[in-house]
Amino acid sequence: MIQLTNLTKWFGDVAAVHQLTLSISEGEIFGFIGPNGAGKTTTLRMMGGVLSPTEGSVIIDGIPMGEKPEEAKRKIGYIPDRPFLYEKLTGTEFLRFTADLYGIEDGLFREKSEELLKRFSLWDWANELIESYSHGMKQRLIISAALLHDPRVIVVDEPMVGLDPAGIRMVKDLFRNLSRGGTTIFMSTHTLAVAEDLCHRIGIIHKGHLIATGTIEELMHQARVQEGDLEEVFLILTEEKQTL
Amino acid sequence: MKDVLTLLKPRFLSFKNRGFSKTRKGRGLRVLLLSTIGLAFWGGTFVILYRVLTYFQRMESFGDILAYKLLSMALITFFSLLIFSSILTSLSKLYLSKDLALVHSMPVSRGKIFLARWMESTLDSSWMVLIFSLPLFLSYGIVYKTGVFYYTMVGLNLFPFCLMASSISVLAVMLVALFLPAGRVRGVFVLLGLLLLLLLVIVFRLIRPEKFVNPESLTPFVFYLRTMDSSHSSWLPTTWFFDILRASLTGAAKDAFFHSALSWSFAISLIFITTWASGVVYFKGLSKAQVVPRRLFTPRRFKSPMEGFPFRFLPGPVRAFTTKEIKAFLRDQTQWSQIFLVVALIVIYLYNFSVLPLGQSSIRIAYLQNVLSFLNIALAAFVLAAVSARFVFPAVSQEGEAFWIVRSSPISIRTFLWIKFFVYFLPLLILSEVLIVVTNLLLHVTPFMMVLSVLTIFFMVPGIVSMGLGLGAIYPDFQAENPAQSVTSLGGLIYMTLSVGFILAVIALEAGPVYSVFMSGIRRVGPKGFQWLWLVGSFTVVLILCLMALMIPMRLGEKKIMQSLSS
Repeated sequence: MIQLTNLTKWFGDVAAVHQLTLSISEGEIFGFIGPNGAGKTTTLRMMGGVLSPTEGSVIIDGIPMGEKPEEAKRKIGYIPDRPFLYEKLTGTEFLRFTADLYGIEDGLFREKSEELLKRFSLWDWANELIESYSHGMKQRLIISAALLHDPRVIVVDEPMVGLDPAGIRMVKDLFRNLSRGGTTIFMSTHTLAVAEDLCHRIGIIHKGHLIATGTIEELMHQARVQEGDLEEVFLILTEEKQTL
Repeated sequence: MKDVLTLLKPRFLSFKNRGFSKTRKGRGLRVLLLSTIGLAFWGGTFVILYRVLTYFQRMESFGDILAYKLLSMALITFFSLLIFSSILTSLSKLYLSKDLALVHSMPVSRGKIFLARWMESTLDSSWMVLIFSLPLFLSYGIVYKTGVFYYTMVGLNLFPFCLMASSISVLAVMLVALFLPAGRVRGVFVLLGLLLLLLLVIVFRLIRPEKFVNPESLTPFVFYLRTMDSSHSSWLPTTWFFDILRASLTGAAKDAFFHSALSWSFAISLIFITTWASGVVYFKGLSKAQVVPRRLFTPRRFKSPMEGFPFRFLPGPVRAFTTKEIKAFLRDQTQWSQIFLVVALIVIYLYNFSVLPLGQSSIRIAYLQNVLSFLNIALAAFVLAAVSARFVFPAVSQEGEAFWIVRSSPISIRTFLWIKFFVYFLPLLILSEVLIVVTNLLLHVTPFMMVLSVLTIFFMVPGIVSMGLGLGAIYPDFQAENPAQSVTSLGGLIYMTLSVGFILAVIALEAGPVYSVFMSGIRRVGPKGFQWLWLVGSFTVVLILCLMALMIPMRLGEKKIMQSLSS
């Protein structure tokens, strides 16, 4: 469903992402973890079509992002790490705006937006201007908008930031359900417990290089850890890379 | 005091570090351009005032009265500007700045935070008014052949003058912020201030000051001035400053010191009053400012006028951006004030045409009417360029930090730019055509000039709008708190220069052949072959120019945004 091939991004003489090759199958939840500045957000921005790579390619559901960006973006629900929105629109109006962009017809829009607004506890705030929303509410609205067109792939950067415990639980359940329905989820996170709990496979990126990838068990094996959690594995692998 | 200075440090450090900023590219040119414009304005003001005062000096009986009246009016204007500017600056510094939460979480007393913010606000709101008031004081000094005493008194008393305006404004802002959330206070003050300003401008224009050039109408005016000579209120800070200046100009040192003492003592008293008041009410207002007011009118869910005709028939992405632009525009109170300004500009523009003394001119009326109509095309295009600079140029920057939505959406940047183009093009085309047709009707121009004006504007509007949008995309500022400020950026200045060049080029290309054809009509001989050739050739070049102005900026803007996807 997602194919990244030799994905590279140079900012001046710094390689934010270097020769990243990854393949993620349909219905998989893939966690992307790494220290600050490792290249997670840059990778996700390239996948979302927000940033163009210096080299390499992103293919979403068989559609190359470089050649057919509009078509590829139609398959994606992109959720950035910082919830910047049009502050002078209401929640409903923002969803309507998104629906119009993705060509969702009116009847379906009403049905889906009501369902999403209720699910994300935004129904009572739907007609308030976004400028009056809290950080968490904005984050929930962006997630609602990203799900409006039933994307085949969700690219999400730090999904739990700003959410309360109930929100985190709800998003986790939602991602599991979507994954069961065949939606592929590519998420970056600093919350290792979430990655451990939710992801089928995890990739660790460090200084732009993918240093390890696999299930939790595979990663533990790579880190030569018998017992412990993802945090332990993460620290050992990134530490090793640091000292090399 | 150490804490207050520490609180002011980020401001000075940011100013010092601006050279290291990523946006430093083009700053030199921008500073140069703005300084040149500023200097030209400063010099122009000085020259005009100097000439006016010299002219007044020649009127023996009432020259001084006129000069003092002018000084008094200028001081009232400066003080009003200082008050208005202080209200907006202090509101922003004390209640709306993004760093307030950080500053208030630090172990510094609220009083010190208030003092630091107030000092910053006073400086920010006063410096420009101060600089542009100097030509006035300088011209009086030179014309009245004063010495060091006058200039010293001006220098000494400008400080309390600004401080009084700042204190009065801060007191008013703190009082109103107790009852209204700060976000609304700004909207209300901006609107009231602008309405007042517009009223003054319109009243001034309706008085028709050009009548005073006529000596016959000057007599009652002078009589009026004589009767008004001693009517200043002794309670106004502007009167004290005026008395200081008048006394200094005439060498009455005692009087000057007395009024200066009045001014200083009041300013110092205001410092104590404002500081005391801040202790009582500032934090209460600040707490209120944190609460975002709920909407006054809550619409029905899923129902909006934007969903009706004609929006229902637009393609999805076009409807999405059109409704978003219109709603965001209408809900932004800062935009309303701009709309008022545009309306006032148009009213005055039309009024000027309605009072043109065409009958009194010695030039043949038909000729004059048509020359004016031709100039009117250029003027209407300049008005359009100015309106575009304010609304179209910032259109891309207006997306702000939410530009990721456009980037990640399934529409191309080209489509996005063309949708924006049409959102602005249609209303601006209507505005320009209305302007042109109404002014031409007021001028009673020939049908040929009417058709020519309407067509020329029709072909120029797309170019002017496209240049605004394209250059706005080439020089975007997504971090700007107020995109309207981007008009003064390098891109804004380039846009204004290019659009003025474009307008002048079109007018220059059309003027020659049209004049030639027009004169043939007046001489009652039909246009000759070469005249037709000239006409067709010139208009073809105009068409090509308009087409280039439409296509090139849009292409370059698109290219620039696409390039930014790589960084």
